[in-house]
Amino acid sequence: MRLSLLLFILSLKLRDAALRNRAFKNYIGTVRLNILIRTRDGKSGRLFVFDKGSVSSVKGANHACDAALVWSDSGTAFTVMLKGTDEASFQAAAAGKLTVEGMSYYIQWFNDAVKLVM
Amino acid sequence: MTQILGGHLVGKYLKEIEKVDTVFCISGGHIESILDSFTEYEIRTVDVRHEQAAAMMAHAWSVYAGTPGVCLVTAGPGFTNAVTGIANAYLDNAPLVVLSGKHPLRDDLKGALQEMNQIDVIKSITKWAATCYETKRIPEYLSMAFRHAVSGRPGPVFLELPPDILNVRVPLAQVPMSARPTRKFTVHPDDWDLRQAADIINNARRPLFIGGSGVGLSRCSAALGQFIDRTGIPFILTNCGRGELPDSHPLSLWDVGNVGIQLGMMQADVVIAAGLRFNWLLQSGAIIPPATKVVRIDIDPHEIDRNRTADAGLVGDASSVLGQLVPLLKRGEHSAWTRDLRTASRAFLTSELELREKPSNPIHPIRLVAQIQKFVGEDAIYVIDGGDTCYFGLTGFSSREKAGVMATAAGLLGCLGTGIPFAMAAKLARPDKKVLLLNGDGSFGFNSMEFDTMVRRNIPVVCVVNNDQAWGMIKHSQELSIGAERLQCCELGVRPYEKMVEGLGGYGELVTRDEEIVPALKRAFDSGKPACINVITDPTVTSPATPLFYQSLKMD
Ligand SMILES: Cc1ncc(C[n+]2csc(CCOP(=O)(O)OP(=O)(O)O)c2C)c(N)n1
Repeated sequence: MRLSLLLFILSLKLRDAALRNRAFKNYIGTVRLNILIRTRDGKSGRLFVFDKGSVSSVKGANHACDAALVWSDSGTAFTVMLKGTDEASFQAAAAGKLTVEGMSYYIQWFNDAVKLVM
Repeated sequence: MTQILGGHLVGKYLKEIEKVDTVFCISGGHIESILDSFTEYEIRTVDVRHEQAAAMMAHAWSVYAGTPGVCLVTAGPGFTNAVTGIANAYLDNAPLVVLSGKHPLRDDLKGALQEMNQIDVIKSITKWAATCYETKRIPEYLSMAFRHAVSGRPGPVFLELPPDILNVRVPLAQVPMSARPTRKFTVHPDDWDLRQAADIINNARRPLFIGGSGVGLSRCSAALGQFIDRTGIPFILTNCGRGELPDSHPLSLWDVGNVGIQLGMMQADVVIAAGLRFNWLLQSGAIIPPATKVVRIDIDPHEIDRNRTADAGLVGDASSVLGQLVPLLKRGEHSAWTRDLRTASRAFLTSELELREKPSNPIHPIRLVAQIQKFVGEDAIYVIDGGDTCYFGLTGFSSREKAGVMATAAGLLGCLGTGIPFAMAAKLARPDKKVLLLNGDGSFGFNSMEFDTMVRRNIPVVCVVNNDQAWGMIKHSQELSIGAERLQCCELGVRPYEKMVEGLGGYGELVTRDEEIVPALKRAFDSGKPACINVITDPTVTSPATPLFYQSLKMD
């Protein structure tokens, strides 16, 4: 629940930044990319769609994507994402609580985009 | 009194003083007497089909044989053709000695054949460039050239020799000949700096060692081995430094490749960088967070604080500096940090690691590389050329050999076409080793005529073309920037490269299915011929290097 809310707020922030935040607009450029954040059990998740300068988002954990950030559970996902630091993500990955499916560079790209709106 | 031809002084000096046994070249009238000296002094010539390849092979010779590489080109177009190879050696700090013909001084400014001002062209991409004007001084000039090439931070040198001095005879007794090749010397870093560096390393909790070509050029396996054994620091060796300790060393992070480098640099509290420039691939140093302590070791004092102020800077040859540092270091243990780094990196690489194991049709390049590695093994030299292909090869191949995995097109010049010459030089320098070249189909085109040289000179390299039917990295980058519907100059189509090699007298095979990869490799190696396996791979696949490249050129 808390995770779904966090992902929803993130989607609003990204959508808004794509309209108003110049640095963010420049950063995302014309890239077309689908990034999924979900829990391992597939119970919660959200897809973020970057399409030539616009950002949209769809609820759910079972969408096709270019890369996915997969969390062991929603509690860890919530805590680590709220911290928003590379170190917290590293520790989660080292503890086996976070994996990336697809090209990890895209996730890095997504994380850097998120940093611009936080 | 014994007379000697100026051109013969070149062969005599190369053979007797520098012990050069191989020269890479293309013939030309202006350099005929030098060519004849190679017969006289029994120097092997490897005559190629484009001077670019001669320069690149001589550069590669310095990497694989560990002695300066020598190439000889004729005046004018021979010289201009070599320029790309020289520029590449300059940016790679390779001790390359370029000998060149020149139009006759007698005919200067008269419109002589192949007359041009070569020195002005070459100055900015060599450590030293000169014209010799007197026959008797040819050995003296050659000696200067070699000294400049290997001393301090190595690099290419250029010496032009006009026919006026090559095609005349002088009494041998009147020619001063140096008694020895270049002297060796070492630079000792300041003692205070050494203690400072040791202090930082001894107190590190999450240290990372990263070594570049300087580690390879200093041949520092022994000193580096002691350093790693004592400190227990996880490490990664790149460029020509790769293989100074084997990729399979328990503390080497090559099993997690580039992700390991990125995460390691971002999470370490101390980064020790040796013989490595903080260039665009490391975001000019910005990849290292500001709070991280940096210890830099470099033979060039100008590199120490370049792009990032070092907390300790040790100037000197990597091997000698590490040797001086080891006695000041405490025995260290960083297994928990190393394990975390590995596990976290693997978590980011899940898909890539799975792709290695899963048969794929159309063939995925990661799977192709994994199958090659499985068949060819660690006792081999891998050379990689291309765009995306470089990423797949660099992260997927592993070797026990020095400079055993090199993505030649991923150097600072980013020069496509280097793979074939490098693979040829590797096979010539280390004939007992298997040499596997992985080539993008685009970059294959630049020097593929050298398969003729391989056939003529019996250089049995096995080349696998990762044929995505495009200039892949540029195509995928344009998809991100311009859009897939407006691609420009990216598509190549399916071409029978294997037939071209067959036509030249080598071995060729086309592979379109996963299960054909290994049998084709076996037949190629068994043929004993220079071989090309043209593997059709998935054209939609891109590598992480492409978006990185795309981002690096964005200006707003
Ligand atoms: C000599 C040279 N020309 C052009 C380029 C620009 N360039 C960089 S990557 C690339 C595409 C390489 O295509 P290919 O060799 O097929 O490898 P792939 O990216 O498909 O793996 C090009 C044209 C270059 N780096 N060097």
